[in-house]
Amino acid sequence: MGELEQAVLEALWSLDRAASGREVHERLDGRDLAYTTVMTVLDRLARKGVLDRERDGRAFRYVPRRTRAAMTAELMHEALQGTGADRDQALVSFVGEASAEDLAALRRALDELA
Amino acid sequence: MLTPVVLGALAVLLAGPLPWLLSRWTDLRRTPAAAMLLWQSTALAAVLAALGAGLSLATDRLWAPPVAPADVVVAALAGAVTAVVLARLLLSGHRTGTALRRLRRRHRERVDLVARVSGGVSVLEHDLPVAYCVPGMTGSRIVVSRSTVRSLAPAELEAVLEHERSHLRARHDLVLEAFAALHLAFPRWVASEAARREVEVLVEVLADRAACRSGDRRALLGALLALAGSPAPAGSLGSAGSALAARVEVLRDTRPHRVQAAAVVALAATILAVPTLLVVLPWLAGLA
Repeated sequence: MGELEQAVLEALWSLDRAASGREVHERLDGRDLAYTTVMTVLDRLARKGVLDRERDGRAFRYVPRRTRAAMTAELMHEALQGTGADRDQALVSFVGEASAEDLAALRRALDELA
Repeated sequence: MLTPVVLGALAVLLAGPLPWLLSRWTDLRRTPAAAMLLWQSTALAAVLAALGAGLSLATDRLWAPPVAPADVVVAALAGAVTAVVLARLLLSGHRTGTALRRLRRRHRERVDLVARVSGGVSVLEHDLPVAYCVPGMTGSRIVVSRSTVRSLAPAELEAVLEHERSHLRARHDLVLEAFAALHLAFPRWVASEAARREVEVLVEVLADRAACRSGDRRALLGALLALAGSPAPAGSLGSAGSALAARVEVLRDTRPHRVQAAAVVALAATILAVPTLLVVLPWLAGLA
């Protein structure tokens, strides 16, 4: 399901404006998806707060709340913030901030192996 | 009358001085698996001893006739304190667990929306190097940025991924969660912060070890050097030293420490078993 959600969101990003379910469905032409499937995914993304939904006559138009870059930046921020002193441990990074002493110790350890 | 006193003293010892001592015994990290066991058994034994002290005080007063009004008051107080301790623990565990699960699920959902998946790894298009995992019962993710993929040699990247896979396999998140909950329940008077910090170092050390078993140390050290974030001001990480320095220290040491490991495991077992055998069993037998 995640892959489908990504495809639908990417279709909206590439349209770069509020679009109806039908337009998104057309955009995903090559994927052989049922219109109702696209609508289900749009609805779910709207409920998750990823898309905004605006009424347009009898139908809805959908627009992503954030650009792809903004969403990526948001995730990066959450991941990097988690390495600070007041981490909440939701995400555990491979390595966090390093002091000059830490880096020096790392280089020494690498030199020992050389 | 002896049981509550012994258990109470034990609870105090296990909650304060012992974690304090353990957190200063840095060589303990050379046997990270055994050390992890010791920290867990210390925390569990401390909680059990504290609960046992309250309960045994209450029963001591009520089970041996004649029961004076003062005995009833003491028993009620002991029971109330025990109930508060237990409630704090349960509430804190629940709060920590739900908060972490929500944060992780929200993060994972958005990762799935923007990341390219390659070889089971989610890749974010970003110029800052990052590598982390999102643990979860219903689906975990290993996430790296494009910059990480580009800047690391293949062996280095594999070391990073193996490190993260080891976190997920060993469910290190659950251990961290337990100690976070303990710290939230008793932020003062017990050395819960020291315990939490040390356990955080230990899970990294364990994951580093796992990465070295399948790859080589050079690759892991190289990856650490490449991905270590912007220099933090010296000393900002506290006197106990940084987690990274501790990891490097353990990585440099390749000698086996079988005697230490065995001793630490024995200590962990003793801490849990001895109070049970010497104090709790006689007490339960006395009740019967």
